[in-house]
Amino acid sequence: GFPPPCLSRNPSFLGRVILLAAAAATLSSPAMAAAAGDGAGDFSFAAEYDGPPLPYSLPRAIPLDLSHIPLASLSSPPASPSASSSPLPVVRPLTPSSLCSTVHSHAHPVPRSAAPAPAGGAAVVDSPTSVIENHHAAAHHSAELPSSPSDVEGPDEAGRPALPPKPHQPVVTFAETSGSLLQTSDDEDEFEEEEDDDDDDAAARAARPRAAGQTSGSFSPAHIESGSRRGAKSRGCYKCGKGGGFWSRGDKESCLACGARYCSGCVLRAMGSMPEGRKCLECIGRPVAESRRDVLGQGSRVLRRLLSAAELELVMKSERECPANQLRADDVYVNGLSLLSEELVILQGCPCPPPRLRPGFYWYDKVSGFWGKEGHKPHCIISPNLNIKGFLHQKASNGNTGILINGREITKSELQMLKLAGVQCAGKPHFWVNADGTYQEEGQKTVKGKIWDKPIVKLLSPVLSLPTPNKAANQCGEEAVHMVNRAVPDYLEQRTVHKLLIVGSGASTILKQVKYLFMDKPFTVDEREDLKLIIQSNIYNYLGILLEGRERFEEEASNDRRKISQCDPSSSGRDESGFCDGTTQYSLIPRLKAFSEWILKAMALGNLEDIFPAASREYAPLVEELWKDPAIQATYKRRNELPFLPPAANYFLEKAVDISRPEYELSDMDILYADGITSSDGLASTEFSFPQMPFDAQGVDEYDPQDALIRHQLIRINNRGLHENCKWLQMFDDVRLVIFCVAASDYDEYYEDANGTIVNKMIESRQLFESIVLHPTFEQMDFLLVFTKFDLLDQKIDKSPLTSCDWFDDFTPLLSRNLMNGSSRSTRSSHSGATLSQMAVHYMGVKFKRLFRSLTERKLYVSHVNALDQASVLSVIRYGREIVKWEEEKPVFGASETTYSEEPSSYLADV
Amino acid sequence: MASVAELKEKHAAATASVNSLRERLRQKRERLLDTDGEASPPPPSARELKRVARYSKTQGRAAVSFNSTDLVCCRTLQGHSGKVGADELTLISLPQFWRSILRTGDRQVISMGRLPFQVLSWLVVYSLDWTPEKNWIVSASQDGRLIVWNALTSQKTHAIKLHCPWVMTCAFAPNGQSVACGGLDSACSIFNLNSQPDRDGNMPVSRILTGHKGYVSSCQYVPDQETRLITSSGDQTCALWDVTTGQRISIFGGEFPSGHTADVLSVSINSSNSNMFVSGSCDATVRLWDIRIASRAVRTYHGHEGDINSVKFFPDGQRFGTGSDDGTCRLFDMRTGHQLQVYSREQDRNDTELSTVTSIAFSISGRLLFAGYSNGDCYVWDTLLAEVVLNLGNLQNSHDGRISCLGLSSDGSALCTGSWDKNLKIWAFSGHRKIV
Repeated sequence: GFPPPCLSRNPSFLGRVILLAAAAATLSSPAMAAAAGDGAGDFSFAAEYDGPPLPYSLPRAIPLDLSHIPLASLSSPPASPSASSSPLPVVRPLTPSSLCSTVHSHAHPVPRSAAPAPAGGAAVVDSPTSVIENHHAAAHHSAELPSSPSDVEGPDEAGRPALPPKPHQPVVTFAETSGSLLQTSDDEDEFEEEEDDDDDDAAARAARPRAAGQTSGSFSPAHIESGSRRGAKSRGCYKCGKGGGFWSRGDKESCLACGARYCSGCVLRAMGSMPEGRKCLECIGRPVAESRRDVLGQGSRVLRRLLSAAELELVMKSERECPANQLRADDVYVNGLSLLSEELVILQGCPCPPPRLRPGFYWYDKVSGFWGKEGHKPHCIISPNLNIKGFLHQKASNGNTGILINGREITKSELQMLKLAGVQCAGKPHFWVNADGTYQEEGQKTVKGKIWDKPIVKLLSPVLSLPTPNKAANQCGEEAVHMVNRAVPDYLEQRTVHKLLIVGSGASTILKQVKYLFMDKPFTVDEREDLKLIIQSNIYNYLGILLEGRERFEEEASNDRRKISQCDPSSSGRDESGFCDGTTQYSLIPRLKAFSEWILKAMALGNLEDIFPAASREYAPLVEELWKDPAIQATYKRRNELPFLPPAANYFLEKAVDISRPEYELSDMDILYADGITSSDGLASTEFSFPQMPFDAQGVDEYDPQDALIRHQLIRINNRGLHENCKWLQMFDDVRLVIFCVAASDYDEYYEDANGTIVNKMIESRQLFESIVLHPTFEQMDFLLVFTKFDLLDQKIDKSPLTSCDWFDDFTPLLSRNLMNGSSRSTRSSHSGATLSQMAVHYMGVKFKRLFRSLTERKLYVSHVNALDQASVLSVIRYGREIVKWEEEKPVFGASETTYSEEPSSYLADV
Repeated sequence: MASVAELKEKHAAATASVNSLRERLRQKRERLLDTDGEASPPPPSARELKRVARYSKTQGRAAVSFNSTDLVCCRTLQGHSGKVGADELTLISLPQFWRSILRTGDRQVISMGRLPFQVLSWLVVYSLDWTPEKNWIVSASQDGRLIVWNALTSQKTHAIKLHCPWVMTCAFAPNGQSVACGGLDSACSIFNLNSQPDRDGNMPVSRILTGHKGYVSSCQYVPDQETRLITSSGDQTCALWDVTTGQRISIFGGEFPSGHTADVLSVSINSSNSNMFVSGSCDATVRLWDIRIASRAVRTYHGHEGDINSVKFFPDGQRFGTGSDDGTCRLFDMRTGHQLQVYSREQDRNDTELSTVTSIAFSISGRLLFAGYSNGDCYVWDTLLAEVVLNLGNLQNSHDGRISCLGLSSDGSALCTGSWDKNLKIWAFSGHRKIV
């Protein structure tokens, strides 16, 4: 039954191979030539072509005359570290007449008539892959560079021609090349270590990145070495040495960090993919030179020529937004204190930020919004009331007038302006000036007037180089403080979002509650529509389960009856009528029976979902009739025997008619009860941040400027997809806390797994818990175990003992007499203080804690929740936040850990 | 209670019988495949070996003699089992394979130079794909962005912020005008690269394909058909989509008994017959599907002992390679179902942890197999001899983290590797060597 083998050749395939051979030849000119010289011949590099004649001519590479390529020789490392005052190997710039012209002649579009071209053959057809080729050449080139002599070199020598060419050894198989590269980079390492020993200047060391990789590393020492000289001397492209002092502005691009300049031919190679904008490869990660901060994100002519508009835009975007290029908060001092990074964000994100913020010392008047350099008069007016630490000092602007504004002694020019504004300044008064320009004298209530009212003030302020407020500043007012829902810049997003992963049963309800708690519009129209569909199709699922149960019960009932009638002939006569037509209390009338069979059939085929959302309206009356039918109601009474019927079924079946209408509007309760969040029910997440004033004001130390910026992301993953070797969990390695939900009511519920064995749901939860805890991704993760469906537990703990789950067989609650005599069964007992259900949750918590400790040797946090109750969800989420915070602070508190550890790990959070 | 116990008992008995049947099936299959030395009959006869040698001679490749040691390796390609039928099939399929190798691969032009020409820096990279024509690469990473790179200038041309940051796969449309991606949101999103970004600079989604009930692990456009897309998913199914309408045309697996029994992690479409595709899954099997017949898998391929992370068709479309959690790559014959070769690295270094194969790719002749490993190695295998030609992970400038994805450019001139060290690297065949 197998197809016959294809014995004919595949002509198109062969053709492709030929083309490729041609491409390879195009690709490889200098190296090929070089390798031809090598002639080692441990491989043959081309197959003889014996196919049909080609319709085109093949590109050819003409071998280089190797003896004409001037190349510097390898230097030996300095004999002893101490002997050399400047131990770094320094590369002499390559002059046009030497190496670069030959190696790179095809790489640069600029024609160089002066360059001797011993290797005319190197003028290769520029294939689309020429960048690959160029780089290849560059790799060789750079490999060669460090090998030039590394003796002491002054700036004046930079322009000197390279050493007389040495006969070059044939360039080599690639294995050898990489070997020599290894060699050179080793040497560098040595040098750098020496340097570190000699030179304790931290700044100097910081400016010298370690050799990172082959290409970047191999020329970095030279590069850095001359970094200081760069500004002083006008010279050519740093990579190819061309250009000298004559190139025009449009021909070069310089590195933002070290200032190295590159010609348009080299800039792409020197800067790579520019993940941080225009920086050479080895400067990536270093801060930009402050003098060049202004040009951040402003495109250059060179790049515009080299790159497409979209590419350029992305480069500039990353240049503006990448973290390394941002102002460092530590360097900015305001009111004598260096800023925290969060404060810097506030400062830069406010409606009127200080223009051209640079590292330095500033003062900031929170009340009026005045902003200036320390020791100087106000420079501008920014948004007031920004939440920045530190207090304004009286001598902040170094004034000597004796007049204070908001506690700062003003300068002479300010005094002049005050006089112009008609403010009485006799007697060195102290003023309060508000952001809107109203001013009061210290200690007095009455507003004396507005400074900015007089037009002359605005006219003359520029003359005195004093700032005037702009409109935005006035409007923002108090609002500046409330920036909770402001967009956080991209580069901070990664850092400030705390991700909380939530899995397990009831997780989606908690997520939905969180949406209600923290979002203005918890669900979009689409999401509601999705949920509506879910609910509508679920109705039929629930019905199907009931109908299956009904069939079973009916059979059982009629069997029972048959038995009874058989063994008890006396009763047979009485039951005759009922028995003959086979009706029991579980029987349906024929019309409904047909409908029920149809549903069951659809369920068995598994296409229920495809049919029903569309058909739901049509059958709505039938559904209602079915639900109200005594047979179904009788079945529903025995729902304990229907393991697959979810508790929410009742809620939805009661309002089946409503739900089936097309104009059905979901209530919030419907959403909470609904099964799942989206139709695919994959991953769902929501982002929120705690409002600055928490709902209850109990937290005394709640307020913290860092909290305002921290956003939390709650990610719900479906436990259906989870199993032991779950690869995609690796994606969540940046999560701060895993909230594992276990339905507290699961202990007496069972389900059938794929192999058909009956498994206790609690045991299953335990297995899932184990596999997640032991997952390599979560090795050091904190876990919060949350018992959900506490209300259900409360309802059934009396009827169904906790010991029905094998794992909990040693649950022997110490019941107080009050409980024993049944007076207050599931209500809170006044004596023991704990109900049976609370004890049960407590007990289960301990079980899980022991399990967790045996698996990880760490502590498990436990809480419980009734997900339908907002307050209890809020407290759990806050508890989660506290855990994250506490884990963050743990290293700080270090020693006091023992005292701290008691609090968050207490068995149950206050719910 | 009695009835429950009874049921349980019955169930246990049924499970046992199912398991015993499975075991018998497995043994039978092993006997038929007979790829491994242990239980296998005597080594291939000299006649077989001569056949190959003679064949090479007739092709004018006498100089290219595969010496005796080489031929030893080829043993695994030839099965001798009790069954005549299987034997015949093996013989039929093997010379075919040899022919293609001999014709195209020629004389083991297998040294590969090291030439990473650019490092494209980005966050942990999960997936990448090349355009068929332009030298563009699309990559998906953990920060929730799709980046389209120009491989020649190494610049980003598009950066698309995704609605759901947990993206696992991405693919270029055959015309290079749109990209598709999928991930934990269980949907596959299509972006048209020509569409204008909105005010915030975000690219609008042109289509969302929903319907999977688990994460989308892999997606691939049907070659030459802009509008067809095949996805694989954690819900144990694959699906064929019409991109223009957003409709799911057919579902492979799922309810049908011949479908996968665990998450499907990878798909590959046959390049010579785009109606056929294979899917690799966590159930350690590969299944072959015909997109015209969704109801059942055409064939199931056993052999691996771990999740199959990657499947890729051999360039001739008659074989396919797999990479698995068991640390091996394997080559299967599509039609016979035989395992032709196993590429397993010897655990020489005292690694206690087995490094898994994360992604594989074939060179365009099929002579080389590139395999990325979770420990950061990237081996270049000689597919014919099952020898390691090169380990890109040992070269300078190699990745620091696990290699998460690999892709060969359509002309075969460059290889792109993506890694958890947040970089993509492009490796090009260098020097004078012929591209194989």
